[in-house]
Amino acid sequence: MPIKAPGKRYGKRLQHSKVFGHGAHGKHGGGNADVLITPLVDMFVIIVLFLIANFSATGEVLMMTKDIQLPDAVNVKEVEMHPVVMVSGEEVTISGTVVGRVQDLVKEEYLNIPALEEKLRDMKKQFEDLHSMAEGNTNAFKGDVNIQAHKDVEFSIIKRVMFSCASAGYNNINFATLQKGEAGNEPTAAKTE
Amino acid sequence: MAGGMDLGGGKGKKSLDVAINLTPFIDLMAVTISFLIMTAVWTQIGRLQVAQAGGPSMEDEQKQEEQTKTVQLTLYVTPTELRLAADQSEFPAIEAKRGENGKLDLAPLVARFKELKGQFPDQSAITLQTEDKVRYEDLVRIIDQCIGAGLPQVSVSAVMG
Repeated sequence: MPIKAPGKRYGKRLQHSKVFGHGAHGKHGGGNADVLITPLVDMFVIIVLFLIANFSATGEVLMMTKDIQLPDAVNVKEVEMHPVVMVSGEEVTISGTVVGRVQDLVKEEYLNIPALEEKLRDMKKQFEDLHSMAEGNTNAFKGDVNIQAHKDVEFSIIKRVMFSCASAGYNNINFATLQKGEAGNEPTAAKTE
Repeated sequence: MAGGMDLGGGKGKKSLDVAINLTPFIDLMAVTISFLIMTAVWTQIGRLQVAQAGGPSMEDEQKQEEQTKTVQLTLYVTPTELRLAADQSEFPAIEAKRGENGKLDLAPLVARFKELKGQFPDQSAITLQTEDKVRYEDLVRIIDQCIGAGLPQVSVSAVMG
């Protein structure tokens, strides 16, 4: 078998092809260089597969901010779409509305945060009004709420947030955490409703 | 060419050497990649479900306690120590030591949970009585360890008095 110069080598069938065999035999120096799109398509396919594998249908339930650094946890469940109370080192917010400043809350001796409780009651009423016409109990109010708090916040603030949630009818409290380690590790019978 | 592959080139027959137009395919890929990158969730966030001590779930827990061999398990959480109590008996306090990264060392607590689960395999509920000065991160890590140790029904309450 003779030694051939490096370059494209087409099979016997394609050697005389108008598309692939064109210019393959010694016709160098043409102005039109072929761009190989096979690696490009391969790369696209791999990227699409990777992104589809990582796709989350739930979307981003919690809005991540610089003020709130979440603690890590391993035995977590997937976060669901519920009202989110955000507790940073400076303020407590719900749905973008500031309901209390941490400095003031530390000084007060109330058990709840009145503005938060009022807002949650409004949200509960809104939910019940929206779902009152729906048939069945599939969309019944379950009282779930997500608390997204900064890791250095003291329990005295969390306690007041929890009490306000419970007073407004939100008894199922979920602490938002960053998932560390194995994903989707479902603890058994963790639901306490 | 009965029974054989038509390689083309014959008179009146179409050639098989047709270049597939890949442009629409690449366009579709580009649009799909853009959409998936825009909607991708890069931070994996989870939730730890807790109940408030004295809330509506407590009645169910009490019924369950009557049916199975369980105890009223309480963990007192303070910034300096952790004290586990099962009914009237109290275990020795665990000092809250912190590692180099500032995180609470919970290995002794996990060992105690394992010991307790050996005695009461049906136990699934625990109440965390937490002091005001305890950091949220420490509380979350303790709840995480409780769930990991097979105590998924975690209730949180403030220290009385």
